[in-house]
Amino acid sequence: MKMLICPTKMPIIWFQALASFGRFNYNVSLLEMSWTLIVCVILKNEKGNMTDIERRILAVIQRGLPVTESPYRDMAREVGIDSSELLEVLGSWKESGKMRRIGAIVNHFRVGMGSGAMVAWRIGPERIEEVGKRMAAFGCVSHAYQRPTAANWPYDLYTMVHASDGEELQRNLKEMSASAGTDDYKALLTRRELKKVPPTYVK
Amino acid sequence: MDDLERRILTELQDDFPLSERPYDIIADRLAIDVDTLWQRVEALLGSGVIRRLGASLDSRKLGYSSTLAAICVPEPKVDEASELLNDYVEVTHSYLREGRFNIWFTIIAANTDEIDRILSEIAAKLDLGLEDVLNAPVERLFKLDARFKAGG
Repeated sequence: MKMLICPTKMPIIWFQALASFGRFNYNVSLLEMSWTLIVCVILKNEKGNMTDIERRILAVIQRGLPVTESPYRDMAREVGIDSSELLEVLGSWKESGKMRRIGAIVNHFRVGMGSGAMVAWRIGPERIEEVGKRMAAFGCVSHAYQRPTAANWPYDLYTMVHASDGEELQRNLKEMSASAGTDDYKALLTRRELKKVPPTYVK
Repeated sequence: MDDLERRILTELQDDFPLSERPYDIIADRLAIDVDTLWQRVEALLGSGVIRRLGASLDSRKLGYSSTLAAICVPEPKVDEASELLNDYVEVTHSYLREGRFNIWFTIIAANTDEIDRILSEIAAKLDLGLEDVLNAPVERLFKLDARFKAGG
């Protein structure tokens, strides 16, 4: 019945209506229905997908912006399109949220904010929405997500907490812990960065 | 970092223009000439304050799947695990952290089946049990703002 939300299944309803009046036999309507289901599935699969141009843009932009006075023109040349077309696609990505932002990605260690930690909190389903929003309001928090728990891992709220030194981090955690109303959390302090590369969307 | 550098960082992070000559626009906004801006941008890149210029994309909206995963790796195997994760282009960040789950990493792949396949492969290669692998994709986003607040 989930398929009923798909607008292209409208012919099925007509077919079924007609079939019920005995003007089409059941097999024809069944055949038509399976064909329409296939169309629905294809449309659904294409929903998150990209056009060929978008894919080509992604393959170039995933490597970063060139450090030149006209970065978009230089990327467009590489993609093989006009810069106006590139800017149009990037504008549409911004609009739709496919692109959160474009610009400088700052190294937190180099700006004196290197004592950050990922902190996992045990909140529980009843309070997670309220606490999640409260954690998100902290200036020292850059990321806050709800994630599933596991048998041996009851923590469901994850925050990236930033601080200039260990003392400030402890202060931030104390404040957050008071706000969350729990001290059941794990500060997953970084021992070593093993890998940090931009995502490769198009291989 | 001086005041001008802070203002430049804010402009470069917050609202980098989608325009043919974005630096001309930023220089205008900051009321400085574009050559001065360029010198500072190159210095910020050279010193590593700016990691890179790029686009921050929403992998889910682009049609990809992603997750945060963690594994429990015995200390002598940490280097082996680190090298293994380096072999996967789908693994974008990985950190050695304190705690039982000591290696945390993000995976971006075509779909969740692909993520499951990669995780099973990693677990098999490192000889890890089921309880040594955590697959924790985002269920709800409360905040994502990795910009450095140059204003202090």
